[in-house]
Amino acid sequence: MPTIPSPMRRIVLRVFAGVLFVCLYLALASGRAEAYPQFQFSSGTNRCSQCHYSPAGGGLITSWGRDESGDTLSLGGDGAFLHGAWSPPSWLALGADFRLAGTWNDVGGDQSPQTAFFPMQADLYARVAFNDSVSFYVSGGAHGEVRPKEGTATTSAGTFSEDFGSVGDRFMSREHYLMWRPSATGPYARIGKFYAPYGLRFVEHIFYVRRFTGYNLYNETYNLSGGYVADEWELHLTAFTPPPSGFPDQLQSVGLRENGVAIYYERRFNGMSALAAQTRLGIGQEASHYQGGLVGKLWLEKAKMLVLGEADIVRTEVAAASAGETGFVSYIGPTFFPIRGLMVTGAYERYQEDLSVKGTGRNAFDLEVNFFPWAHFEFVLLGRYQMIGTGAPDATSASLIMGQLHYYL
Amino acid sequence: MHNPAMLPAGAPGSIRGRFPARALAAAIALLGIALGAAGCGSDIDNRPAKWSFISATITEPGCATVACHSAVAQRAGVNLSARDVGFDSLVMRNFVIPGDPIDSPVVFLMHAQGSIRMPPDLPLPEVDIQLFERWILNGANND
Repeated sequence: MPTIPSPMRRIVLRVFAGVLFVCLYLALASGRAEAYPQFQFSSGTNRCSQCHYSPAGGGLITSWGRDESGDTLSLGGDGAFLHGAWSPPSWLALGADFRLAGTWNDVGGDQSPQTAFFPMQADLYARVAFNDSVSFYVSGGAHGEVRPKEGTATTSAGTFSEDFGSVGDRFMSREHYLMWRPSATGPYARIGKFYAPYGLRFVEHIFYVRRFTGYNLYNETYNLSGGYVADEWELHLTAFTPPPSGFPDQLQSVGLRENGVAIYYERRFNGMSALAAQTRLGIGQEASHYQGGLVGKLWLEKAKMLVLGEADIVRTEVAAASAGETGFVSYIGPTFFPIRGLMVTGAYERYQEDLSVKGTGRNAFDLEVNFFPWAHFEFVLLGRYQMIGTGAPDATSASLIMGQLHYYL
Repeated sequence: MHNPAMLPAGAPGSIRGRFPARALAAAIALLGIALGAAGCGSDIDNRPAKWSFISATITEPGCATVACHSAVAQRAGVNLSARDVGFDSLVMRNFVIPGDPIDSPVVFLMHAQGSIRMPPDLPLPEVDIQLFERWILNGANND
């Protein structure tokens, strides 16, 4: 029987053990893997990748990020995996996010307001390091379900069977990629499924700058990406494509089905502000999107306030209609950190799907409180008021109050 | 806040220095752009009342989200993730009655008449509903 050379055997065993662990892990539980851009600068960290394994932030957090979560961001506690009760070997990193949510949603009409309580997120993460440079990352979970499964759905057009089955049917792997990254700063390359770096990438996927730029929930694409991360700047170049239609649902995405490129360049100044330029060009069979914009971040130490802003122009071309439209999407708002463990965000958002047509816009005003009483725990309260269309008294408005309990492992 | 001596290589340590004027200018410019864009546009809607346009610009971004009318969820059996499947879902399933926007259930849903409003998280502007109605009035073709 041939023997595998020792280094190779170690790698094979790690791969096998990692895959086995991930499979068991995913089989036992049931999504989101976002970042908190509010912590850049405000927590003393310059780069998102200081706290996240992903070079552009988001997803599983590093040991540095776990230390930060206990020592800086929360009122106390041990941010380590399993609260420090057990540490995985150095080549393996594990994590999970669970969110329960309750909403009060008033969009007017005959059946508003509505309340709902639902599991919002159950995501598991694993990262296996083969050596100091190469790693494999995977995340998966069941996507949330605001409205309960009823078996049938009755609408004004009739009653329909709800083909919306069990948690297993809703399981999707949002991210899985192989990455070469020899050091925390410097060049990197990765291939697989993830969000092409672009924009502020808030946790809240309902924010217009996520929803209308191709970064809504489960909009991840398959990418070949590379870049360079330095202390004062970072550059991310990504070629993307949608999951092939033959892939099972568990590996699919939703949203735009386009091939294209995304570029994000961020320049930081004195560890307290940043300006970024970005573009995303996607060509699809039915429609294509060409967008670009700016991101600004400004930390004011004395005021304990971080101002985040993003503005994008989005050009949509629809080939079959021989027509297109140019839209605008933006976010701006301050986040206050009055005491350790608490952040309060106020924001104004604007989305206008066609700048040439009056009344196609939406304005949103958000007030969000995030409380981190102890490492691994977060309470979120979000109030959101949207003015739809012209903003005239008879125009539609929408109000949302959402509470969340977030636990990460 | 961490002791800077404990920070990993390249970490910035404590906040220091005065922020550059260009960063502040950029932030203010962003705010100006955001506010300036509010209320843009003409009262005349020249957008084509064609399904290919409506699907790409209204229903796909507004309705085909992961837990609603995406290809993987298809709530109420409705898939609005692409032009052809969206057309089949609406027209072939009688959510749209060609030529009759007044009696088309999809318009009732958008106006929250007798039902929860669609989309339930992001109501459509009235001009978008009117574009839908013009398409229906024109025969609701897959054009």
